Amino acid sequence: MSTPTETTRRGHRGRIAPVRLGRWLIRLGLLLGGVLSLIPFLWMAIAATHRTGDLFHSPPPLLPGGELLHNLERLQDSVGFGRVMLNSLGVAVVHTFLSSLLSAMCGYGLAKFRFRGRGVLLGVVLGTMMIPLQVLLVPLFQMMASLGWVNTYQAVIIPFLANSFGILLMRQGFLDFPDELLESARIDGSGELRTFYRVVLPCVRPQLGALVIFTFMTQWNSFIWPLLMLNTEDKYTVPIALNTLTGLSHVDYSGLMLGSLLATLPLLLVFLLFQRQFVAGLLGGALKG
Amino acid sequence: MTGELSRRTLLAGVGAATLSTAVTGCATGGVTNREAVHLGPGATGPVTGSITVWSWDSAATALTRLARKFQARHPGARIHVVDIGYDNADDKITVGLRADTGLADVVTVDGARLPAFIGNFPHGLHDLTPLVRPYARDFDRAALRTATSEQGRIHALPWDIGPLAVFYRTDLFRRSGVDPASLRTWDDYVRAGIAVKAKTGAKLLVLDPSEDSFFPCLMQQQGQRHFKDGGKVALATPEAVRALELIKAIGDHGLIHWERGWDGLVTANKEGKVATMPTAAWWSGTLTTEMPELKGKFGVVPLPAFRPGGVRTSNQGGSTLCITGQSKNPRLAWAFIRFLLTDKDNQVSMLQREGLFPAYLPALQDPYLDKPQPYYGGQRVWKVFTDLAPHIPPVEYTDDDAKAADITQQALTGTVLRGHDPRRQLRAAARQLAGATGREIVAG
Amino acid sequence: MAVQSPTASAVRGTGRTRERADRRGRPRFAHWIFAGPAAVLFVVFFAYPLGASFYQSFTSTENGRTAWVGLDQYARMFQDPSFLDSMVNTGIILIVQVPLMIALALILAVLLNQSWLRFRGTWRTVYFLPAVTTLVAYAVVFQVLLKTDGGLVNQIAGALGLSPVDWLNDPTWARTSLIGSMTWRWAGYNAVILLAGLQSIGREQHEAAALDGAGTVTTYTKVIFPQLRPVLLFCVITSTIGTLQLFDENYTLTRGGPDDATLTPVLYLYKVGFQQMDFGYAAAIAWVVVAVIAVISFLQFRFFGRERER
Repeated sequence: MSTPTETTRRGHRGRIAPVRLGRWLIRLGLLLGGVLSLIPFLWMAIAATHRTGDLFHSPPPLLPGGELLHNLERLQDSVGFGRVMLNSLGVAVVHTFLSSLLSAMCGYGLAKFRFRGRGVLLGVVLGTMMIPLQVLLVPLFQMMASLGWVNTYQAVIIPFLANSFGILLMRQGFLDFPDELLESARIDGSGELRTFYRVVLPCVRPQLGALVIFTFMTQWNSFIWPLLMLNTEDKYTVPIALNTLTGLSHVDYSGLMLGSLLATLPLLLVFLLFQRQFVAGLLGGALKG
Repeated sequence: MTGELSRRTLLAGVGAATLSTAVTGCATGGVTNREAVHLGPGATGPVTGSITVWSWDSAATALTRLARKFQARHPGARIHVVDIGYDNADDKITVGLRADTGLADVVTVDGARLPAFIGNFPHGLHDLTPLVRPYARDFDRAALRTATSEQGRIHALPWDIGPLAVFYRTDLFRRSGVDPASLRTWDDYVRAGIAVKAKTGAKLLVLDPSEDSFFPCLMQQQGQRHFKDGGKVALATPEAVRALELIKAIGDHGLIHWERGWDGLVTANKEGKVATMPTAAWWSGTLTTEMPELKGKFGVVPLPAFRPGGVRTSNQGGSTLCITGQSKNPRLAWAFIRFLLTDKDNQVSMLQREGLFPAYLPALQDPYLDKPQPYYGGQRVWKVFTDLAPHIPPVEYTDDDAKAADITQQALTGTVLRGHDPRRQLRAAARQLAGATGREIVAG
Repeated sequence: MAVQSPTASAVRGTGRTRERADRRGRPRFAHWIFAGPAAVLFVVFFAYPLGASFYQSFTSTENGRTAWVGLDQYARMFQDPSFLDSMVNTGIILIVQVPLMIALALILAVLLNQSWLRFRGTWRTVYFLPAVTTLVAYAVVFQVLLKTDGGLVNQIAGALGLSPVDWLNDPTWARTSLIGSMTWRWAGYNAVILLAGLQSIGREQHEAAALDGAGTVTTYTKVIFPQLRPVLLFCVITSTIGTLQLFDENYTLTRGGPDDATLTPVLYLYKVGFQQMDFGYAAAIAWVVVAVIAVISFLQFRFFGRERER
């Protein structure tokens, strides 16, 4: 770390040897950690470019093979991967958009308004975070069936639109929003919704960015609920389609790894896009929370 | 204000509980109504309409292929086959049965899981007894047993079975001077294993420490699984002890290769880590697909018996087809199932193309099963299984099998990996299972 | 914002106050526009399942018939070795994995916060990647790495002259593997969050501390970390809730084995409900989990959160 004092002490020639060594050690450490983080992806890349049969060696092959196109073809043939990716994308985007909006609105309501039942609602929000999903599956499934929503995307998207974590995250962000700005907006005659949209929301863009990443990530990788709800193969989302590659007496490992690798790409994209917001958003939300 | 709040919350809570109780009550009521629906024998007439069938993996491939053939024969019938994946298929089916809605017309159910479904959801799967009765003798006894409820009603038709035999490495045996025909009893087997390890370094077999199936198979070879005599806990019987002592002996000689998961199994075989695989007929499909380079290096012999002249096979796996109580077109469903499973040509085609060994015994007479198989150096491998299949001991399954499997697994690893005494482990296991399920333990 | 004459807005304002707004000038039911939709969704989609599962926990199903059994299912839990194992395992993971991971994340965050470090965005992405891996990939990869015979880790150990370890088949090592792989998956994720916190604290604090003569370690422990407390609390609480509800990682990696060594309550309730079809018991376990989470979260807030207000 450089401070004005340190620089002056050391002169303007740059860092002295021990400091430089220290920095290289740190770089090395980070590199090591980075490689550890990436090793599984390297393996996925290797597995995705070999035939499944060739993977069963110890040691397994350590270099990529040449079967990428072949595996892509097979993936498309066996599960219609292109279509599946689009399904996942559609579901995740719609869900993320609606859920983020809902969380923002609810968080705002909880943060900036005093009303009867606020405590109850907050309690409900906190409480639902603690329930293991598995125990809700059967009754929720019954509800979907009675609504006639089996094998529909509404069933996959709607029940979990209200997301406790998102609401709490947004609430933290709104708690910091200065009330005076709200007052002046109201005095100027702006309606509540317009105030929210024009004045408040732009200021919590960082939190929103973080929320978008989390929500998208969770929905994209969501497995058990879509598995239960979707019954036709051309409606499958990515995790479910990949699940069919694991058979009783045969596992298509190369296809599985290729599919998983491809499935990570949209998530990566979302993270890269919203990264800046994500970082600032969490700090805003959590720091004051 | 706070008082009002809590009163309101209380009312809401009570309301929710009442509502949920009411709905739950309705659900149960709906199921009882289903008792009245059943298929009469000889349901004739044009077969039309559409049904959905759930399956997985190569089974789904077989169904899709044969569905086309069926539709060609019965214009007006539409069969939709959906691959729901194997790993979580049971979850989907369980939820559908429990919620009493949302299931396909026909579902594929593992033979071993079927009794749990039948026991827990007595009205979830159609009672097919009058329809199956004309064919009962044509199906493998053990498989049909899994499809039969404790009341003697048949709720499914067996599809494929997994008769056990020993797949062995001909090259490793030759190098060690072991004659595969000499493996008549399990003692012979262990002796052979010692010889093979000495000469080639290969162990005898692979076991999965988290999801083993060998121990229950050894029990089935002797006529029982986890329960017998009308649902009594059979974990501490002499048969069970004998089976566990055998595995312990193999382990004590250092002949067990522990490996988790299917890929571990395949890798171990590919690399010649083990000289034998006592496993079911469907393993052949894995060999030919994943290990083509080992062509000519495998042979098959029956399982060694516990006593000279004893039973030389068991069963692992196998699935069945069921018609769900929720089906809107059970007649078409039955027509399709019957077409698939009681037709010799269809069954043989599924063996040939998808590696599914038929539970339908007449199909085993097809000349295809008598052909020399090039992968096994010309041995008539399917004939081995054909001869063994009728001897598979039928065993009792109950709806507590999942619990039993967990407890049995622990007894296995406790004995073989951690060196505890088999008899003591099994007695403790039996007590634990009896306590958890409220069942009695088999006397003696 | 529209320009209005002061008189007009005053008049309008007064009108609103008298008619539909509360004392603070807000329309009376505005909060329901915002909080309403989420509240409705919660009620519609969670009230019935919660009520149903709560009711279920007092029932038992035998041969398709459901009967009320009062607290039997709850009592059963405390005699059930598998359930008790699952609670012990969760305790172990909580005590070992969470602090370990947070400490690692903190160190990573500090390292990533170095002012002279370039490509911070790339580093952030690389360390965040494990958290976005699909579960099945996570499981397959670690199974390949940790295979007893020929797994990469044992190969490296062999090359270093160490004996191979039964990573997934021995109870203690299986727990270690689970903890290790969980840390791999979530340390970077938490590091990114903590890094954000560190960056908000800003350089001035470091400089001020240096001016006061504080060394690096003291700067961090006495100045920086205390300010990081809210973010740390956030990470600790979310990690704790995640651990108490652990299912994904141990289900895919070890299925809870060997011998229930990596069994957790939620995995157990899944087995009980979906494999043993004992839904009443599963529901009871779920509600006990909820109670535990509630108590521990409350304690964490009390213990760590309070300091913040000072």
